[in-house]
Formats: sequence, structure tokens, C-alpha cells
Amino acid sequence: MNYPFWDVPLIGGGILIGIVAILHVFVAHFAIGGGLYLALTERKAIKENDQKLINYLKKHSKFFLLVTVVFGALSGVGIWFTIGLVHPSATSTLIHSFVFGWAIEWVFFIVEISAILIYYATWDKLDPKTHNTIGWIYFAGAYLSLVIINGILSFMLTSGKWVDIPFTEPSKKFWVGFFNPSYFPSLFIRTGVALALAGLYSLITATRVEDEELRTKLVQYSGKWLVPAFILIPVAGIWYISIIPPLAREISMGGAPAVTVFAVLSIVFSLIIALFAWLGPIKTPKQTSFAFALGLLVIGFMVTAVTEWVREAVRKPYIIYNYMYSNAILKTQGDKINEIGALNFAKWVSVKEINEENVLKAGEEIFRVQCQSCHTIDGYNGIKKLISGWSENYIDFQLQHLDMLKGFMPPFYGTEQERKALAKWLYSLNEEKTK
Amino acid sequence: MGLKMTQQIIIPEPDPIPLPAPYWLLKFLLVLTFILHIIAMNFALGGGIITGITDLIGRKKNSQFHLNLARSFSKMLPIATAFTITLGVAPLLFIQVLYGQYFYTASIILAWPWLSVILLLLIGYYGYYIYQFNFEKLQGVRAWIVLGSAVLFALIGLIYTNTLVLMLTPEKWAQKYFANPHGTNFNFDDPTVIPRYLHFLVASVSVAGLLVLIYGLVKLKSDESFGRWAVRYGGLWFVIGTVVQYATGIWFLLALKKDLMMIFMGGNGVATAVFGISVLLSLVSLILILLSFNAQNPRPLSIFGIVLLFLTIVGMAVMRDILRDAYLSDYFKPEQFEVQPQISVLIVFGIVFIAGLITVGYMLNKVIKAKPVTT
Repeated sequence: MNYPFWDVPLIGGGILIGIVAILHVFVAHFAIGGGLYLALTERKAIKENDQKLINYLKKHSKFFLLVTVVFGALSGVGIWFTIGLVHPSATSTLIHSFVFGWAIEWVFFIVEISAILIYYATWDKLDPKTHNTIGWIYFAGAYLSLVIINGILSFMLTSGKWVDIPFTEPSKKFWVGFFNPSYFPSLFIRTGVALALAGLYSLITATRVEDEELRTKLVQYSGKWLVPAFILIPVAGIWYISIIPPLAREISMGGAPAVTVFAVLSIVFSLIIALFAWLGPIKTPKQTSFAFALGLLVIGFMVTAVTEWVREAVRKPYIIYNYMYSNAILKTQGDKINEIGALNFAKWVSVKEINEENVLKAGEEIFRVQCQSCHTIDGYNGIKKLISGWSENYIDFQLQHLDMLKGFMPPFYGTEQERKALAKWLYSLNEEKTK
Repeated sequence: MGLKMTQQIIIPEPDPIPLPAPYWLLKFLLVLTFILHIIAMNFALGGGIITGITDLIGRKKNSQFHLNLARSFSKMLPIATAFTITLGVAPLLFIQVLYGQYFYTASIILAWPWLSVILLLLIGYYGYYIYQFNFEKLQGVRAWIVLGSAVLFALIGLIYTNTLVLMLTPEKWAQKYFANPHGTNFNFDDPTVIPRYLHFLVASVSVAGLLVLIYGLVKLKSDESFGRWAVRYGGLWFVIGTVVQYATGIWFLLALKKDLMMIFMGGNGVATAVFGISVLLSLVSLILILLSFNAQNPRPLSIFGIVLLFLTIVGMAVMRDILRDAYLSDYFKPEQFEVQPQISVLIVFGIVFIAGLITVGYMLNKVIKAKPVTT
């Protein structure tokens, strides 16, 4: 309500964030796991004095550079741009709560970028051992950037005791928010994902190696990179689910059918990858083709997509748990909004007082500032479809008990007159349809 | 009602979370990291323009000097772009810390252009890599690829200027937003946008000219005549750019509202001094670079000139910051910030920062030792 609402037609801002975020996550985890892959495999090649393997790594590092440094870095900035536009208040909270967390992460970015650019450019210029060291520095920088961002991301769902610590204890507040209840399970899951993606991506380059002996060896080796993930992710996953807020668990396990379906899909797709990685690269590396590798990577992308979607969905009705609702209203602001009214509280509305003539317009404005961060009118999660056939009274009844009837929605805040105006406007959408 | 609406000034409340460090420290970090970002940006954007044009000249005149320079710079451009982005993260962070309510609002009003920056950057960035990796293969088209990337980057600058000027003029927000909440606005109705933008664009060519000059200085050892040529050629880009820069600078100054312009003309002592010194430094720098063209040893003169120009950039960045606060003086009151320092976090940041510098230093040292001549 503090910031103007950016009206993204049809898909809404949430989907826009989703698109950018999923693409980024899919590449960023590769940037981490793939760093370990480069450093470890180079070490192996040096030990075994395997020049062919070094030549493969040279090519693979070019692929790695073009995917992670360009797309990975840019899509990361892209998420930041997008959330700043769609959820400025939440972005501002994350920025202000963790200013020097971000600054620390920035230092790791600088190290990471410097290392990978040098690594790629100095295959023939540095002695193998020093070159390998640069690879390790890259991986350290990349992994440490995960160590930081993971604290901020997991904070959004499990803000824990952060909310209760006063701002007069700033350092404590920072660390409690950062090392929040889901920090470690989340870090282990992401580590597993990073390792698995290192394997999936390197299969892409490994299956294209011409020398059959090297290809067979590499395909099997890369396939084995998926194994730790299938131990790490389920164990850390159960830990994670046991620790998240009860409501979030409920939403993912039946409370909201769509979310549950996606959660199940995530597991099914992961099992498909496990099965085919076992049957293909690990058991029959010689026969594993580039197309097969590409197929695995595509399923890997689908796992990323559905899992990230679930992770976002279970946070409802909050965007930052127990602090800020999905529509950017602070939990502590509720009473004030009920008292002075949503239109008075909101900054960017063209109606401040409701009268006979502007009641529909007022309803529309209330919808914009309080509902539209999740609902479009006609498109994604479109409100028109959701309330189709409802009477004005029933809509008003729903609005009075939103958080009770639909646990994943924030309560309606505002005066009775405003609630009635919103109900009237929503009902008018029904009428439009029947006309 | 309608008329009242258009004159309405709406400014979001600042974030209720206190600052984790004193205001001056955050301001210092904002300006410092902006300077680093803008220099890398100058290399990426101005470097692309110079490389493309140099490549075209080289092919037309069949000049090996021009072609060698383009080939060398093809490797520099993606690196400069990577650092422009990474170094840009920090000022983008600190601007949101100190000026969040202005920054978010302006970017939302221009949401689609603002978001398109990512796409333009992605295409331009890959363009630079295509140029580097296919330099020998592409021949005729390659110069147009690198110039195309540079044009996309220049477009990003234009979007930035649009947004960041709108950020300074809250008077215009409500009117623009209520007329169009879909984020497809621009800010070209502001008379300072074009000259301000040109002032940044021309600077990038000028500063990238100095990078060519530095490259020439490095090459002097191994290839005297090529090095000499590059020193002059880069210096010439710098000199011409800087002369044009005086024109765009005057235009920008005159386009400012009178009270804003006057802070640099005696209205504010510090602003006037920084302005005067910066212009003077750039002038001396210009003369030193010109003198280095025919000097027996161009090194001392040109290095001195480069240092002075660096100081000019620092001065300009400080002026830019003073101007921002002058624009916002009715609304932005630094003394109103609540500060609750996160001492332990600051200490961790300090340690990580120093460790990071040492690590990067270690790696650079290894690279330089491995091959004394940078290519």
C-alpha cells in the first residue's frame, strides 16, 4: 500500500517473478556445483596425467562460462529488478534487514567472477597446480555466495524469532534472522541440487565428446555426480518439512490441491531422473546419447520449476513470515488499517472517501491495493473465475473470514464500508459476465 | 478532483527498519562503488563503440594496427561487461538502502523499460562473446555485431537516466502513475534527461579512449611502433571525447532548474569547489595527454593525465551525489534516519572484504607473473 502497484496484465507480477527466478535457480545452482566439478575433475586429470581429460575441461569451462557468468549473473540481477517492481516493500525489507549480508555476498561475487574469468583464460598460461587453485577459489566464492543468499531466502519462510527481537538489538536480530530454523536443511538441499545439476549439465558436454573411450568414462563419471543428491535431498527434505510452519506443511500436503500436485510432481520427476540416470549414464554410459542427456536436463528443469513454485506457494499468506503479508501489509499495521480505512492508509489510490457515486471505483481501488498482488482479474489466479456465481452477500461473508476460510489468504483489512464497496465491485464482475 | 490529483505529491514512507551503519558510511560506500561501476561501464560501453569503429577503419584501410587493437579489445569487452554488472550490484544495493522509497517508485512507473534492461544486457553481452570467439571467422559482419551490442548498452544507459532522473522528481510521480499504471512510461518530458544522458555516454567513449592509451603504454615494451600508435590513437579518442564532453556538460548544467544549477555556481561552497576543481583537473589532464603524443617518453605525462582524469571522475561522482540530494532536499532528510549499527556484521563484512581483495590480488599476481604482457 506504500508503493504504487504495477499492473502486469494477464499473468500478474507473481508469474513474472516465477519465470525469472526459476531460470536463475536452474543456472545458479549449476554455477556452484559445476565449480566443484571443474576443480575436482581437473585435480583428477592432473593426478592421472590425463591430457584428454584436460582438453575436455577446457571446452566444458567455456560452456560453463557462457551459461553461468552471462546468464547466471544476469538472471540473478533480473530477479532483483523484478521483485523490486512487483514487491517493493518486501524487497525493501530484505535489503534493509540484511544490508551487510548482501554486501558480504557482493564480495563473494567479485571473487567468483574474477576467478572464473581468470580460470577460463589461463588454461595454457598457468602451471596446472596454480590453475587448479584458481578453480578451487572459484568454487569457494560460489559456494560462499550460496551460504549467504540461503540465509536471506530461508528467512522469508521461517523468520523464527526475528520478528520478536527489537531493532535496538540490531546484531542479534541480523543473526537470528539469518541462521533461521530452516537455514541448514535448506543449505543441504541446495547443496544437493547444485551437485546434481553439475552432473546433469556436464552430461550435455560429456555426451558430445568424440573419443569413445573418454566419452564413456566421462558420461559415467558425470552420472555419478547425481548420487549424493539422492541421499542428501530426501534426508534434508524431511528435515526441512518437519521444521517449516505448520500452515506451510498443510498447504503442501493437501491443504491447497494445486500446491500438493506440484509437490508430488517434484518428487515424481526427481525419481524419474534417479531411475534414468542409473539406467543411462551409470549403467550404460557407452549408449547414453546427447539427446538422452538433454532429456534428463529438461526433467531437471521441471523439478526446479515445480519445487520453486511450491516453495513460493507455501509461504502464503505471508511474503515474509509473520511480518509481512503477500499484499505487503505488515502484520502490525492491521489494526490501524481497520481503524482509518484501507483507502486512507494506502498511498496510491485515486479515491480516498467513499460516496454513492464512487463506490464501484473505490471497490476497484481496494482490490488493487489489497488483492491484486496475487489475483489478476481475468488471467492467472483470476478473481472473476473464482467468485463466479457468488452473490454479493456471500462475497461479503467470504471477505469477513478470508483467513479462516482460506488459510493461505491474509485477512481483509479496512472499514466495513470499504469491505462492502469491494464486495459490490467484485459482484459487478459477475454481472458483467452474465450480460 | 481530477485537477487536484495531477498536482498531488505522493511519497512512500521510508522502510521502518533502521540503518545498520551510520549514514555517512553507507553514503561513502554508495559513491565509492558507483565510481568503480561507472569506470567498468565506460570500458564496456565506450570500449565497444571504439572497438567497432576501429575494426571498421582497420578493414577499410587494411591497417594491422587497427585490427590488432580490435582483436585485443574483443577479449577485454566481455570482462568489462562482467565487472560492470558485478560492480553495479553494490551501488544498486546502497541506493535501495538510502533512497528506497524514491528508487522503487520511479522504477515501477517505468517498469517495462526498466525490466527490459536485463534482456538488452543479455543480448548485448552475448554479442560481445560472439565477437570475441569468432573474431577471425566473422570478418565483415563482426564490427556490426560489436557495435550492435554497444548500441544496446547505450540504450540501457538511456533507460537508467530516464528512471534515475524520475527518481529525483517526486512531483511528477502521481500524475504519471495515475495516467498509466502499466509501467510503460518514459521520462523524456524532463529537459535534463537528454543532456544528462549524453554527458554519461560521451564520457564512456572518452574514458575508454584512455584504456586504449593504457594498452598502448603496455605494448610500448614489446612493439614500440604499435604501442606509440595506440597511445596516440586512444589519446585522440579521449581528447575529442572530452572536448565534446564540455559541450554536453554545459548543456546539462543549463538544463537544470535555476536553483539546482546555482549550487554549482556559488550557491553551495562545496559543490562549487568540487565543480571548479573537477573541470580544472580534466583540462590539465587533456593538456597532459596531448603533450604525451609527441613526447620522447609518453609514459610519465600520460600516467599523470590518467590519474588526474580518475580524480575528475571522483569529483563528478561527488557532484552527482550533491545534485541528487539537492533535487530531493524538500523530502530527503538524512538526520531522520534511525541508526542501529550491526557491529558484528560490519566486522564480518570488513574481514570478508579484505580477504576478498587479497584473494583477487593473489590471482592477479599469478596471472601477471605467468605472462608479463597483458593481451
